[in-house]
Amino acid sequence: SQSVAVGEHAIFSSSDTSCACIESVLGKADYNHNKVNQWTAAIVEQSLTHLVKLGKTYKYIVTCAVMQKSGAGLHTASSCFWDTTTDGTCTVRWENRTMNCIVNVFAVAIIL
Amino acid sequence: GLPQQGRSGAGVSPILKTRLENTYRMGPDEGCKFNAGRVQRVLEGALASALGTTVYSPQGSALLAQSLAELLQNQVKEVVPPRYKLVCHVLLGQQGQQSLLVASRALWDPESDSFASATFSNVSLFAVVTVHGVYFE
Repeated sequence: SQSVAVGEHAIFSSSDTSCACIESVLGKADYNHNKVNQWTAAIVEQSLTHLVKLGKTYKYIVTCAVMQKSGAGLHTASSCFWDTTTDGTCTVRWENRTMNCIVNVFAVAIIL
Repeated sequence: GLPQQGRSGAGVSPILKTRLENTYRMGPDEGCKFNAGRVQRVLEGALASALGTTVYSPQGSALLAQSLAELLQNQVKEVVPPRYKLVCHVLLGQQGQQSLLVASRALWDPESDSFASATFSNVSLFAVVTVHGVYFE
């Protein structure tokens, strides 16, 4: 289970909440071009809501990519310009029979 | 601010701890914000010149995605005002008959923070890049 490790402290275990969000939205559904828009919106919104409930002083960026399975390859990478002692990221991969889903969570600290 | 010396432990050289003055800055200046249009143009140009006629390969593309993320981030850093933290996310895939949708949402300060995105495709591959800029107080 992945945690976002910030400095020496794991600020939250994001992969559990993200996995649960994806499962509840996509579950056993088959890839549907007409529904993809509302699915990604729902996943991203639910993830963000969960993060906000943690009540930490962070700005969050959540990205979600849903791709139809067709045998084609896909790679994702990210590069961040930030304070490595306070900021962190976590990635969750999920798939079912017809589609792949990748969710990234980036947490950027706010100094109060 | 004056530098202060701190002791870290026996037998180790002292670490200089700099104390900075308060800037009393609450937000970015007018006209000094994340310019989404400009960043998008930079991304589009950089993608086209970096990928051009590149062919997708399962082994090479993983590295390509990573180096692309770093390259784009460095290019974007040049056109973004200071005190902005950047998150650059790249998706690189094989061109097939599949469909793909990328969405993102953020919890931030809409006065100062923003994002830009760009896409590129040729016969062999496609790339989607998003750069979020978050103001650091």
